[in-house]
Amino acid sequence: MAIRVNPKLIDELATYGAADVQNCYHCGNCSAVCAHSDDTFVFPRKPMRLLQMGLEKRIEASLDPWLCYYCGQCSTQCPRGAEPGETMMSLRRWLTSRYDFTGISRLFYVSWKAEVGALVLVAVLTCVGFLTYGFLNGNIAHYDGPTAFLPSSVVHVFDWVMAVALSLLLLINAGRMWWFTTVKNPRIRPRLASYLKALYLLPLQFLTQKEYARCESRRPWAIHLSLMLSYVTMLILIMFFLKQIQEGPAIAWPFHAFGYVATAGLLFGVIHAMRGRIARKEPHLKHSHESDWIFLVMLLVVTLTGVVQHVLHRSGLELAANIAYVVHLSLVVPMLMLEVPFGKWSHLAYRPLAAFLAAIHRDALVSQRTSTANGEPGSTSRALAAA
Amino acid sequence: MARVGVFIGQYHSDSRIVFDALASYAANLRAVEKVRLLGLRPKVDVKALADEIRRERLDRIVLAGDSPGYFKPAFTRAFELAGGDPSEVRLASFREHGAGLADATERAKAILACAVHGVPYPLVAVPRPTTVHPATLVIGGGVAGIQASLEIADAGKKVYLVERSGTIGGHMAMFDKTFPTLDCAACILTPKMVAVHDHEMIELLTNSEVTRVTGSPGAFKVQVLRRARRVDEASCVACNACTEICPISVWSEFDANLTHRKAIYIPFPQAVPSAYLVDPAACTWVQSGGTKCGACAKKCPKGCINLDEQDRSVEIEVGNIVLATGYEMLDAHRVEQYGYGKYPNVLTSIEFERMTNASGPTGGKIVTKTKELNRRLKVEEWVANPQGPPPRSVAIIHCVGSRDPKYNAYCSRVCCMYSLKFAHLVREKLPDAACYEFYIDMRAFGKGYEEFMERIKAEGAHVVRGRTAQVVEVDGQLVVKGEDIVQDRLVQHPADLVILAVGVVPAQGTVELAKALGVPRDADGFFSELNYNGDPTYTERGGIYVAGMCQAPKDIPDTVAQASAVGAGVLRSISTGHGMGNLDSLTLSEIEERAARSQAAER
Ligand SMILES: Cc1cc2nc3c(=O)[nH]c(=O)nc-3n(C[C@H](O)[C@H](O)[C@H](O)COP(=O)(O)OP(=O)(O)OC[C@H]3O[C@@H](n4cnc5c(N)ncnc54)[C@H](O)[C@@H]3O)c2cc1C
Ligand code: SF4
Ligand code: SF4
Repeated sequence: MAIRVNPKLIDELATYGAADVQNCYHCGNCSAVCAHSDDTFVFPRKPMRLLQMGLEKRIEASLDPWLCYYCGQCSTQCPRGAEPGETMMSLRRWLTSRYDFTGISRLFYVSWKAEVGALVLVAVLTCVGFLTYGFLNGNIAHYDGPTAFLPSSVVHVFDWVMAVALSLLLLINAGRMWWFTTVKNPRIRPRLASYLKALYLLPLQFLTQKEYARCESRRPWAIHLSLMLSYVTMLILIMFFLKQIQEGPAIAWPFHAFGYVATAGLLFGVIHAMRGRIARKEPHLKHSHESDWIFLVMLLVVTLTGVVQHVLHRSGLELAANIAYVVHLSLVVPMLMLEVPFGKWSHLAYRPLAAFLAAIHRDALVSQRTSTANGEPGSTSRALAAA
Repeated sequence: MARVGVFIGQYHSDSRIVFDALASYAANLRAVEKVRLLGLRPKVDVKALADEIRRERLDRIVLAGDSPGYFKPAFTRAFELAGGDPSEVRLASFREHGAGLADATERAKAILACAVHGVPYPLVAVPRPTTVHPATLVIGGGVAGIQASLEIADAGKKVYLVERSGTIGGHMAMFDKTFPTLDCAACILTPKMVAVHDHEMIELLTNSEVTRVTGSPGAFKVQVLRRARRVDEASCVACNACTEICPISVWSEFDANLTHRKAIYIPFPQAVPSAYLVDPAACTWVQSGGTKCGACAKKCPKGCINLDEQDRSVEIEVGNIVLATGYEMLDAHRVEQYGYGKYPNVLTSIEFERMTNASGPTGGKIVTKTKELNRRLKVEEWVANPQGPPPRSVAIIHCVGSRDPKYNAYCSRVCCMYSLKFAHLVREKLPDAACYEFYIDMRAFGKGYEEFMERIKAEGAHVVRGRTAQVVEVDGQLVVKGEDIVQDRLVQHPADLVILAVGVVPAQGTVELAKALGVPRDADGFFSELNYNGDPTYTERGGIYVAGMCQAPKDIPDTVAQASAVGAGVLRSISTGHGMGNLDSLTLSEIEERAARSQAAER
């Protein structure tokens, strides 16, 4: 089969944040210090090589970037300043744009102005939509009751419609990831049984992110996990208990208690990430793409407006609470609509899927290899057995 | 008088020349009618230029710049179009004439002035013959210093060889074999060392250092600090009686701290001069102010020990100075991931050189270190004992602290080859032990080097492409982790002995010496040669030369070649009275004056 080379790939990647790939002289230091790299998935050096050679299809078929959790050990130890960690991060952005069939993701990553523009557009539309609905059907001075400006039953339906739409988009993109990495990958001939055997990894990885915990420092994992769990808590509250948490003004402790903890978790996580990106001390926070900042700022304002809305409502200031609610919704909706399928947030699907597919690839490679096995000297297992 | 137009172009963006200053200098020269700065790599419009030349009625064009030849064709055409004589397009080439260094602008002015006057710079810039003192000072007694001293002394000229340690020989004296021939290092070096000692034209000042240099090329006055040896060099017969009785043991520098020596010692049996010396920092007598011990002085059958001898300063006069101060190893502790200092069986290359040396601390046996009780200090120490267990596997890691901007950005140039030599020694001495070599790129560039590498591979060493990332200990076993980039897989090899091919850095004291002599250093800290391609043995400072590792990393053949070349330069200077053509001995106004004069003579 002919191999297609894209000589501009490296330049293309630069827009996604990987600026120093050409510095790499292939010492292999990075792969060896990486806690996630192993005999089957050797990275980040190999992806660096593929990039230098412009082997686009090989990269498209690679799961490696999703197995990297960017602890930054590789970049710290790289003797050439080739920033392998940042390259993997950029590759995740690039792959996200490749998986996305709409092309929107790509547009956002190459132009932050387009991303901001889209966010503003959706925000305006959301705002106009909710205001129109509210003024036609309710009273802006009322938060609760039959004349409520935005009754929870209506928002509930809206939430579900949006959730289904987003899930569909994400599912299609995840399907494309599977297609590129596994179905179309000539080096992998997966067995059906491996799919079943590895299935448990999807929920496990989603909920525990245990791969992330294998990094030398476990702190980033813990912070990320608490952030994720806070989101999931919020999601559950909103999707299933909206009535209980929206109506007031009394505080429904059995539900709100969860909400408060989750809010604290969110604020902590977001502020921590922002401070880290400003301080630029830790290797994985040294380089920030515009999309990282847009994402963090969105998260922060969404959380803050949510808090404001809640406080106003519970203090009986219904008019103010309604205004805050509309603002909050006008931020949440664009954030979810654009970040989940097209932006950084899509990794909520790609990460667990990658862990799942990696297990399948590993299985396939082992069975393919046993047919040609020769156990050369120097293989890890043998050398260690001798030790 | 000719009407001259000066056009100043810039080819390299990193030029040290101040172009504005140069332009105003040129404008003040008498014949110059027109000066124009062209900027960085200009696009020349030939027709417009021809018009300009016609308008200004120029009949000579000086094209000045760091590489002005680049622009010459366009200017020649324009000058022809304007009806000029193309041979009157003259180049003032700064790089070619060495205006890339310190006083770059000054020299550029001189080069420009010569071009304006139409006389070749090298003809004008030959310094006036001066009386050159026939003696030469050589600083550093490694193979470079030895070779240069012998070249000069064999031609009948006096040489003072100043060496900081107690013996000459430098690093080469520590080696057993040399790559790529696997010759015995001592067989080549020892006769040369003895020749230096016995030479009637060489005065050997060991245990000494240069502290001050005054005067000018051809007539330097040099102050040398002669540290007290405390043993009379002439009468010591190296009988070893003093060492036997001395109660103090300290780590032996010459044996790379693999074993101990006494406070009174000889670095190694073949040392030159063949006389013992006292380490004042370790000696009880010296440290106690002459109240304790003194056993050696009583024991010496020749009565040649004077423990109270004091340091003294001597002044010598020389015409030329040769720098041959060599190198040192980068501190391997800094490259933390390899665990040097933490794991006793992680060795530096120089330690391994001593271990494999037949006259070294293990008699040439390759062993792993063992823990032994130091009875005097009552602490356990790791030492290389010849009875120690041999390693079952040896890993050699290349480029430790080299080619990595965190340490040295440059390639140390010798470690690939000495690592291959090590692999050979391991395979030869321990045929049952596995030997792994981890490299990034194999730099086997010299005569016979590629063949040497193939030979080592054929001998069964595993040469793995990919640098090691880490050395760790797993259940008491050292494990070397890396990526085999050819096989695309991670490797973890157990290794009983790990050898770090540590990079080289300029010798300690290089900064001070550079200051005292006014010799510039390059970005890596080594002494700067005058011109890398054209004058690799001269420095910008007239009458001062460089040889060996102190100029840049290099192997023994290159070191010796450079040292011999230095000999030629020194002898030329002594016999002609001409030093190097540098601005140190000629001022700008002198050059202007000479240029004007030779132009007049031409007419
Ligand atoms: C581990 C190792 C193995 C090697 N093996 C080989 C090999 O097999 N073959 C090969 O071709 N090359 C080999 N080399 C390279 C070789 O060592 C050098 O090319 C050579 O020794 C350079 O000689 P030199 O005289 O310039 O420096 P040095 O040998 O370092 O000599 C410098 C001398 O100057 C003295 N000195 C320093 N500063 C002062 C001062 N301020 N005042 C007075 N004296 C001073 C020092 O005490 C020393 O005696 C090896 C290098 C290493 C590190
Ligand atoms: S550590 Fe740096 S230079 Fe070495 S392979 Fe990795 S990216 Fe390339
Ligand atoms: S000579 Fe070889 S081992 Fe030494 S720095 Fe250069 S490439 Fe690395």
